[in-house]
This record gives sequence, structure tokens and C-alpha cells, in this order.
Amino acid sequence: MALPDFIVAHKREMLTLTGEHLWLVGVSMLLAIAIGVPLGIFLSRRPAWKSLILGANNIMQTIPSLALFGLLLPLPWIGARADRLAILALTLYALLPVVRNTYTGIAGVDAPVREAAIAMGLTQRQLLWQVELPLASNVIVAGIRTATVITVGVATIAAAIGAGGLGEFIFRGLAMVDNNVILAGAIPAALMALSADFVLGLIQRSLVRTHH
Amino acid sequence: MTDSSAAIEFVDVTYRINGNRTLISGLNLSVRRGETLMLLGRSGSGKTTTLKLINRLLAQSAGKVLVDGRSTAVWDVIRLRRHIGYAIQEAGLFPHYNVQNNVALVPRLERWEAARIAARVREVLQLVGLPYDEFADRYPDQLSGGQRQRVGLARALAADPQILLMDEPFGALDPITRGEIQHEFMQLKKTLQKTVVFVTHDVAEALMLGDRIALMDSGKLKGVFLPAEFLRSTDDSVLPYISAFRASQQILNSGA
Amino acid sequence: MDRRSFLSALALLLSGCMPKSSALAVGSKNFTEQLVLGELLAQYLGRFTPLPVDKRFYLAGSYICHQALLAGRIDTYVEYTGTALVAILKEKPASDHAAVFNTVKDLYSRRFGLEVFPSLGFDNTFAMVMRGSDARGLRLKTLSDAAAVSSHLRLGVGYEFLERPDGYKGLASKYGLKFAEAPRVMDLGLLYRALQNNQVDIVAGSNTDGLIAALDLVVLEDDQHYFPPYDAVPIVRRATIDRQPEIAAALKRLGGRISANDMRRMNYAVDGEKKDAAAVVKDFLARNTSLF
Repeated sequence: MALPDFIVAHKREMLTLTGEHLWLVGVSMLLAIAIGVPLGIFLSRRPAWKSLILGANNIMQTIPSLALFGLLLPLPWIGARADRLAILALTLYALLPVVRNTYTGIAGVDAPVREAAIAMGLTQRQLLWQVELPLASNVIVAGIRTATVITVGVATIAAAIGAGGLGEFIFRGLAMVDNNVILAGAIPAALMALSADFVLGLIQRSLVRTHH
Repeated sequence: MTDSSAAIEFVDVTYRINGNRTLISGLNLSVRRGETLMLLGRSGSGKTTTLKLINRLLAQSAGKVLVDGRSTAVWDVIRLRRHIGYAIQEAGLFPHYNVQNNVALVPRLERWEAARIAARVREVLQLVGLPYDEFADRYPDQLSGGQRQRVGLARALAADPQILLMDEPFGALDPITRGEIQHEFMQLKKTLQKTVVFVTHDVAEALMLGDRIALMDSGKLKGVFLPAEFLRSTDDSVLPYISAFRASQQILNSGA
Repeated sequence: MDRRSFLSALALLLSGCMPKSSALAVGSKNFTEQLVLGELLAQYLGRFTPLPVDKRFYLAGSYICHQALLAGRIDTYVEYTGTALVAILKEKPASDHAAVFNTVKDLYSRRFGLEVFPSLGFDNTFAMVMRGSDARGLRLKTLSDAAAVSSHLRLGVGYEFLERPDGYKGLASKYGLKFAEAPRVMDLGLLYRALQNNQVDIVAGSNTDGLIAALDLVVLEDDQHYFPPYDAVPIVRRATIDRQPEIAAALKRLGGRISANDMRRMNYAVDGEKKDAAAVVKDFLARNTSLF
């Protein structure tokens, strides 16, 4: 069967798996942003923690994804459900680019701008929201972009531990020795990564324009 | 005894960093209301540090700094800073705000009504010689160095503070633009009647713009002089400045 | 969105409840018998429910199937009671069929909210399989017989058999099997080929493997009752049954209607005759209209 025919014949399943994949990526990225951006902001206030936090993140990223899934399996509550486990692992992977870029973006705000802002009487919160975050937004989004693309890729491995997603097609195709099935998983996953990269790239560019 | 006509007062102020490096020691200085006081000195003399003690960007290690009769340690630091205008050499304009929004910053923070803010922005841009219609929508990267400094000055004046702190604001400009702005500043001085503390290492600028000159060297105040006194002074710390000044005058004269 | 509703939405997301599709999703593991059983459930239940039936086959093992069931990615699959007891519930192995079934049914209901239906009718227990010529030549009928000559035999096993608590270790210890070398581990699908090609002498296969009859292979009797029962039982999510009660009725009808021989024949049709699993099951259902 040619690939296009296969895709049409298995339309519903492809939609289901794609939906599961988007789910895994979406929740993980939301968590990574919700934790990573504040963490990056914290680091910009207390640089002494930089080596500890960025170091820990680095270690997390160095562990091969399949190994990380395996390491988390025995944990109570987390290990009981494969999707929880996958989401935790994916979030941990996505954290480093987000935290690092948030920190770099904020630390990269021009010193005179920061000095002037403080001297004019902006509170710490006003400084963060009116000056630091807007000026760092381009770099932060770049970090989110990197993290998202990584997450889409690692999420294909999540199927190996039963979390579903497009990886399931890939593993199944390997078991069946059927190229169509493999591609039915691999191509959408690749397209998803490319689209995410493209869309976030557009957002990045529009931020540059607004903030000159 | 403290001087009640003093807008700003330093009483035995010492500033140390890292526990043992002393940047300022035993500073006693009064800034009179409505005067323009120049803080003159070489790099490392402590003049910028002194300036930053006024709006508490830095906190003194010993002694008191009084603004409007109250110690800066007692003031709510945010209120203190909003009460004082601040202009620096790099201008420090927010790159993501246009001129209008940069200038309107403190009035907005102080929650003025929109109409009052709009009027004030116009007024203050006018004061610094930048027509509103031409400049309000421009972004800092679309301005020349001189224009950026003017916007910085406008921003510092926007909330109509009684005190203005200026840290070598014209230092990075080319001589022609610098001259123009200095001249405009002199005119502004007369209209605005604010208390200005102005840091500079340029003796010509100090003589031209200042009502009094406070000479600093190695973290100590060497003396406070009227411009004419300064030129006549035989004080050891002043002499190098006078000869440098005379020398530059001679070069100009010989070239004429 | 205010903070509280955001946090509760986040909590909901985290508990892993993904939006579900409205089809009946049938799962299966990734070997022939499971594919056949998956097709059986899909085609049989398909006649009783108005919902479209989705097939999610080739899931790589019991853990993954179980996870898929818990998460609602599949609604049902066929598990074996022995596997459910030891590998998933992590209870101690036992040998009484009825006791094992009841324990599994009870614990699955209490711990996971899953309904276990009566056995389809066959026991896919592990079978230690040898070449017919060897078994006859060495006069081996039971595993106790084999223990005596185990030092001359080479053993072939699949990954799961090697690792499971109710697998290789327990067997070797119970019967005192002392093989000359470490067991050769390979994909389940390759075990019989290795046996046929004389690369191994005895393999850990299954009672219902189609190739047993086709290749003149012999199953040694588990005379000391080491292997727990592996009755094939359909497992279904409670939510699915609540939504579609006709499925429960259908599965009760199906109970006990598939014999070990039926299973071996269908397995052989796929493995030996290279027929398509869906076609084999369709054929079987057509010939057994009394099931409906």
C-alpha cells in the first residue's frame, strides 16, 4: 500500500496519536515555562545559585531520554502512569533551554537601562514586567523554541514506555517491519517539530519588531 | 547643626566596599536649594559614588545623607527616587519604548491622569528642544546621541522633581553638540530653578555650568568654590585643574 | 483566567486525563496470538456496538497495554491471568486456576477500576517445547524427565520469560534444571526457527503456538505444576462498560468458547500459512455463528 493510501485508511488513528503527542508536548512545555521562567528570573536576582541550578539542568539533559524514563519508573505516583512519567521527563528536558535563556535574556539587559529604571523609582516588580521581561522576551522565546523542538522529538520515545503518541507508530512499524507504519509516525512527528519551530520563529521575529 | 535651606546634606559620610576599600571618607557637604553644584574630580575620585548616595542607588557605610531634611535611610526609597530626576551619560532610554513613553515613565508610575501626562510630555520635550510631532513616536535607536541625551533630560524632568542628579550627561557627545546642549542647559537653569548636582571631570564644563564647584580627590572633599574663586585658588588640589584649563585656553587662543 | 481556575486546570492536566475519542479502542501486544485475539475482540464486539472500532495493536508488552488501559488509550485487551497476577499486580504466583482468576478479577476491580471477564476458554501457559525427534529419542514426556538430561540441552527463551519472576529462574529452581550454557535470549518470533535449525534444543514457547503441530514439536508436561495458569481473559475499562453495557453481555457470551485447539489453528494460519490475522478471524467467526 502506498503511504498516502495508508494515511487515509488510518486517518482516525493518526489523529488520535497526533493528539496524544500534542498533549504530551503541550503539557510538558506549559510546565517547563511555568517553572523555568520564574526560575530564570530568580537566577537573575541571585546569580550565586547559577552554577547549582544550571548545573543540575545540564545533568538532566545529559541523561539519555530512554534512561531517564527508566529511572523514573519506580517512583510512586509518577511511575504508576506512563503519561505522568513521560510528562515529568519531558518537562525536565525542556527546562534547561528555558531557564538558561530567561536568565541570559534578563542579565543581558543593558546596564544603563537597568540603572536608569531603578533610579527613576521602578519597584522590583515594575522593573521585571516593564523592562526586563519585554527586553528579554526575544531570547526567552528562542529558548522556548529550542525546548519545544526537543520535546517533540523526545516525546516519540515516550511510546516505548507506553505513553502513547506518534512514537507508537514508529515502534509498531519496527515490530511489523512495515515502512509505511514507521513513516506514518515519523513524518507527522517531524512536521510537528518543524511547524513548532516555524511558528515560534515568527513569534520571535514579531517580538523583535515591537521592541526594536 | 543641619542647614534647613539645604536641599541635600552629607554628614560625615563614609562609603566602603568589600569591607575594606574606602571610596568616600568623612564627607561633609551641603547643597543649597536651587543651586547647581558641580562635583568635579578625576576618575576614581568618588564623585559618581557621592551622587548615587543621594538617591540611594548606593547606601553609605557610615554617616547620614539628608534629602529635604530627612535621612535617606528613613525615606521610602521608591518615593525618594521618584522625587529625584536622574540623567546619565548613556542616557539609559528604554529601547522598547518610544520617546513619548520614555518621557512619560515617572508620571505614569505616579498615576497622573492621561491628559496631564500628555500635556507634560509635550511641554518637557519643548523645553529640551525636541518638537513633539517630530520626535514623540521615534524609538531611541532612531535618535542621534545628542537627541538621546535631550530625551534623557526630558525624562528626568518629566515629573517636575525638585532635585536633578546628572552623571556626566554630556560626556559622550561630540564637542559641537556638547556645546549646544550645555548652552541650552544654562538657559534651562534660569527657567527651572531646580537643585542640580552635576558630576563632571571637565573643568571647563564645571566653570561654565556650576554655581559652585565641589572638588573631590581620592574620596575626600577638597573644597567648595565659586567659579571665580576656583580660578584664583592656590590650593594644591586645584592647581592642576587651573593649569590644564589655562593650557587648553592657550591652544585655542594660539590657534585663533 | 484567574489564578484558581488556572491551577485547577493545570491539576486536571497533570492527572493525565486526556480528552478521549468516541470509538471503541481494542489493544493487543505484539505477537501473533495477541494479534489474533485483538482481531477477535475487535470484530466480535464490533457487531454489538454502534461505535467505530479502533485497533491499537503491537503494543510492546503487558506494561504498555496496562498503561494504555489505565489512561483510556485503549478500552480493552486480552491478558493472561498468570501475567496479570505476577507481572502487573505483583502478587505471588499460584497454581489454582479458579483462585488465580478470582484474585485477578477482585484486585483489578479494586486497584484499577478494570473489569476482568471470564476466560475465553484456553490456557496459554508457558510450554517447554522440544523437537519431536529428540523428545521421542530421549524418551522425555515431562519436565522432570528433562531435568535429568538438562546439562546436554541448550535453552532458548524470550526477554520477558528471562526477566519475569514466574519465568526462567523459578522453573530452573523447581525442576533442578542445570543447562550447560546460559539461556539464549531472542525475539519470541525467532524461537521456533532456532529450534528447527538446531541452534537450541528446548525453548520456552506457549501452549497455543501454531507451529507446535506444524513442525512436529512436543510440549513437555509441567508435572510439578510450576507454571501458573495463563487463562486468556478480556479486560475492559469500567467507564467503557458503563457507556456501552452491550459489550459486557457480548463478552460473557464469548466466555469459554475458544479452545486451545482453536487458538493453535488460528495461530498456525497466521504464522505457518502466512494468512492475514483479520482474515483468519473473519473466517473463524463465519464458521462459528453460534457465538452470536
